[in-house]
Amino acid sequence: MILDSLILQTKLFISEDMDIQIQNIEVLDNSPDKLVLKTNTSMIGTGGKLNLMLIISFDESLMNYLVDLFMEGEAVEEDEKEEIYDSVSGETINTIIGLALPTFPNRGKGVSITPPIAIHDVTTMKKHKNAKILSANVETEFGSLSVSVIGSEDVVK
Amino acid sequence: MLKILIVDDSLIIRKKITKLIEKLGHEVLYAAKNGQEAMDSYISKSPDLVTMDITMPDMDGITAVKNIIRGDAAAKIIMVTSHGQEDMVIKSIQAGAVGYMLKPITEDKLATAIGEVYTQYAVSQDEEDLELLEEEI
Repeated sequence: MILDSLILQTKLFISEDMDIQIQNIEVLDNSPDKLVLKTNTSMIGTGGKLNLMLIISFDESLMNYLVDLFMEGEAVEEDEKEEIYDSVSGETINTIIGLALPTFPNRGKGVSITPPIAIHDVTTMKKHKNAKILSANVETEFGSLSVSVIGSEDVVK
Repeated sequence: MLKILIVDDSLIIRKKITKLIEKLGHEVLYAAKNGQEAMDSYISKSPDLVTMDITMPDMDGITAVKNIIRGDAAAKIIMVTSHGQEDMVIKSIQAGAVGYMLKPITEDKLATAIGEVYTQYAVSQDEEDLELLEEEI
């Protein structure tokens, strides 16, 4: 199941690569009609044999901590701040999706992925018609993130 | 000391690779944001080595490799890739890239990749063992 793969790789990235303690993971029981986004969001689209939107959304405190880790303590210049934050969010989703891909149907063969897209000034994404949203919230010691899959009902399981 | 061109659309990756390259004692000539910039700066700056991201907007890394190699068949380009892009790595090598590194990029990975292309910078097993021993002590 695609969301399960994403949750696993998110756990591994956050806890092992970033050394951040995970406190709770909650999978939303029902497929919501809309996705409520946090402060910093990146999305990757998949194509080819699997058409999906994969979204990771971070709250401000976790995002600040991740940026600090990526920057290795170096200060973020104000004129680079937005780009740095988008970069960190993008690299994070890129890493997670890249590692999850071989666990997708048919081991991800024939599946292409887009570069990450940073989403700004959007608070919700609403599904249309037969689309389905699956989402999980990951609470860490420094804040939370949500990982979500949007696609057609027959693909998103 | 090698003169290196970095190509990546991610600012944080450009910064990281710059730091690592400088730590290894080499010079970063320029950090380009996409394939088109990579091509333009390759022509104007003649780097010894290029680190090239694969997925980028405007012009992707594979297209940039093809275009650079068309102009300079001896160009040394190392792809920088995430997991799940193995097919694209193969295409890059077929296009003329000489190697690849998997993200997250570390000093060791970079040193090894450079050493495989420019053998005078190869890290010998003895040096690695000595470093490990020094860390233990």
